[in-house]
Amino acid sequence: MKKNIFILFVLITLFNCKSDKQDNGKLNIVTTTSMITDLVKNIGGEYINIEGLMGSGVDPHLYKASEGDVTKLVNADIIFYNGLHLEGKLVEVFEKMGSQTKTPIALAEELDKSTLIGSDYFASNYDPHVWFNIEYFKEFANKVTSILSEKDPINAVNYIENEKKYLAKLDTLQGKIKAIIETLPVEKRILVTAHDAFNYFGKNYGFEVVGLQGLSTATEAGVQDVQKLAAFIIDKKVKAIFVESSVPKRTIEALEAAVKSKGHEVSIGGTLYSDALGNAGTIEGTYIGMFEYNVNTIVNALK
Amino acid sequence: MDLQEYFSLVFSDYTLRTITLGTAILGAVTGMLGSFAVLRKQSLLGDAISHAALPGIAIAFLITGAKDSNTLLLGALVSGLIGTFWIRGIITKTHLKSDTALGLILSLFFGFGMLLLTFIQKQPNANQAGLDKYLFGQAATLVESDVWLMAIVTGMCLFVLLLFWKEFKILLFDADYTKTLGFNTKFIDILITTFIVLAIVLGLQTVGVVLMSAMLLAPAAAARQWTNSLAVMVFLAALFGAFSGVFGTAISASQNNLSTGPVIVLVAAVFVVFSFIFSPSRGLLFKQIRFIKNRRDLELHKTLAFMYNIAETHDNISHPHAIRILNNFQGFTRKTLRKLVDKNYVILQGNMWSLTEEGFKTASNLYNQQSNNNE
Amino acid sequence: MHKKIAVQVDDLTVAYNYKPVLWDIDLEIPEGVLMAIVGPNGAGKSTLIKSILGILKPIAGSISIYGKPYDEQRKLVAYVPQKGSVDWDFPTTALDVVMMGTYGSLGWIKRPRQKEKKAALEALEKVGMLSFKNRQISQLSGGQQQRIFLARALVQNASIYFMDEPFQGVDATTEIAIINILKELRKAGKTVIVVHHDLQTVPEYFDWVTFLNVKKIATGPVKDIFNDDNLTKTYGINYKVSIQE
Repeated sequence: MKKNIFILFVLITLFNCKSDKQDNGKLNIVTTTSMITDLVKNIGGEYINIEGLMGSGVDPHLYKASEGDVTKLVNADIIFYNGLHLEGKLVEVFEKMGSQTKTPIALAEELDKSTLIGSDYFASNYDPHVWFNIEYFKEFANKVTSILSEKDPINAVNYIENEKKYLAKLDTLQGKIKAIIETLPVEKRILVTAHDAFNYFGKNYGFEVVGLQGLSTATEAGVQDVQKLAAFIIDKKVKAIFVESSVPKRTIEALEAAVKSKGHEVSIGGTLYSDALGNAGTIEGTYIGMFEYNVNTIVNALK
Repeated sequence: MDLQEYFSLVFSDYTLRTITLGTAILGAVTGMLGSFAVLRKQSLLGDAISHAALPGIAIAFLITGAKDSNTLLLGALVSGLIGTFWIRGIITKTHLKSDTALGLILSLFFGFGMLLLTFIQKQPNANQAGLDKYLFGQAATLVESDVWLMAIVTGMCLFVLLLFWKEFKILLFDADYTKTLGFNTKFIDILITTFIVLAIVLGLQTVGVVLMSAMLLAPAAAARQWTNSLAVMVFLAALFGAFSGVFGTAISASQNNLSTGPVIVLVAAVFVVFSFIFSPSRGLLFKQIRFIKNRRDLELHKTLAFMYNIAETHDNISHPHAIRILNNFQGFTRKTLRKLVDKNYVILQGNMWSLTEEGFKTASNLYNQQSNNNE
Repeated sequence: MHKKIAVQVDDLTVAYNYKPVLWDIDLEIPEGVLMAIVGPNGAGKSTLIKSILGILKPIAGSISIYGKPYDEQRKLVAYVPQKGSVDWDFPTTALDVVMMGTYGSLGWIKRPRQKEKKAALEALEKVGMLSFKNRQISQLSGGQQQRIFLARALVQNASIYFMDEPFQGVDATTEIAIINILKELRKAGKTVIVVHHDLQTVPEYFDWVTFLNVKKIATGPVKDIFNDDNLTKTYGINYKVSIQE
């Protein structure tokens, strides 16, 4: 697969086929996850052309680049992605592009590694779901702004202005979240989801977080995983467990059946947005909307 | 977890019980049906059909946007059946042989399926359908309704098998002859094939497209080694398949990070290897033992025959001779001599040997026996 | 001698990929003959039998058995295919194979019972294979396999027997045993049609012969038809043969 991508990449570069580059003088930005797309839109506004590769409900762990994607990447001026192996199947693509002086920016890798949560599974050894810590997301915003300003100094002042506004919104979000979570008793703050996407959320807001599938949806849940998690749920008297928008429901449904068979009450509390935002045009289609929706869903189900 | 814990758990724990049952039933039905595929020399049929099911899953999702497994499995069924008919079409209408046709359909359909999957991944909520999981299966997420479905299909299959047993048997053995008896061979053929496709589609959720062919092949191949009766073979194949499911689930459940599907396939493979080596009539081990024994017997016989030729020339057949004479005989060893003594065919005195009455009689009968054996 | 016509073939043409294998065959096989079909390799001999029996589909032509279409007369016809057309490693016994001959009269779903087993055992005895009844067929020699196939056909109690190279790869004892059974069948008024590969034995074994090489070259009683002229026409070389009465 990777060899195919590379050959495709070379051919396209050589033959310089159909150019998706918009020649309106604006920077062409390509982003991966919908969270990052939303962020860059908020900062770049009308001053940039932006193309997000992954839409709502798309799982970044499993996403494979198509030929069209590679063309877009080649024609981009700047590429923003998460990194830390979140986009597991795009790693080689980005590495090859780096060597072609395209410099894709891995936003999560700019963070101070000593503060990140470690992992046994991932190659780079860190949990990549960093956007669930709003402070980290603010750092993303900083990085995006500085890169945009560097490449497009004329509009730097606009980018900085947009960032200021956005950071303010993020602060408001932070306050709201804290308030909502306060209404949930501490012993009920247990979050069970399909995979380990919410560790940073848990760490920041005092939730114990357990995923069925581990840090990547590419892994298969084993029999033992289901059993152990079922036992955990029963032990801690967890009321509700959660499905994710970008992961098959089956796994959580199997878990629910396992718990119920032991005579314990548990229900599916709702669908959370973990690795992708909701549909474009809806409130959940923005980072801020998504975050608030998630927290409301979680707290209401667990109360 | 140890054995006792396992046994108590397998009945009480919902997850373990459901998955064990599901994989056992799946193993049984693929074992049974696999026997027919293997005997028809279409062992890779399972491989071709499971790969052919992939575009069906993708298209079912594209058309209906549905995320529930039943719709997707229906798509898999349709696509698998189409693939099967195209395989038959290729074999009958062109000069291509069975394995070429299987390989063609396998790669064509699978490639198309993968293409669709990469296209689909851009669709919102596509991943909720878990289309990728059909490649390798996710046994741990079986629920009771899945198991019921498998049980019903297996029941139907068993019923049909029993009903049309002699028709299946004769068609597998001699298709041309079957036609002359007036049986509609096309109908029987389609019946078997449809059930095979059905079983494969059911197995996709558990073992996945890539590994499904092994479940169709391995239990049947293993069973063949132990019996010369079709009925026993089918029964054994079902048994091996079921146990692969049970042991596979048990092993993967006892460890962290062991996917159930691949472990089941590995257990089935162990059955195969074991059968190929240790089966009494066809196994490699016993064949080797028999070969060595035959060779040894041959040495013994030849030496005895040589001694007979010498003894014959005397009136007293037990006339002692020097052992040294035997050195002229190329096949002679001390060990053979000792064996002959053990059997009471020869007596040794110092460095002289002599044939006993029994030895003489046995030697003279040697050639007669051999000519009887050749008939 | 105005016998009944057991098998009538009209205008039979068979082709593989537009290449003719049998061309415009007209054949009348009278009842009660023991007939050999001879011809060089690729002449279409097996194809002829298979087309008559409906195993292969002809492009043109019709077959009738005692004046009626073959489909209606299946019960009267028995087939002994070439040994090599079957995988003898199949897990089954000699008795089991012979019992398959009863499946036609049983029809769908019905199982063979005592009556069928008895008939099968009798047939096995007739071909001298009774002691092998429980033997796995892969353990049988070529001659024994051929006898099993014959027994399977005998069980059908047919009026017409088609056999494809039954003497190929078979030991002398078996060959004699088989031809004796065939002669008995003829005496009993049955019609036996045999694709035969050994020209030398034609006059000795058969009373009727058909020369085939994609087209029908000649057909009729051996004493009239089995001559140098027809042999040359069929095989293309100069054959010298003496016919013994």
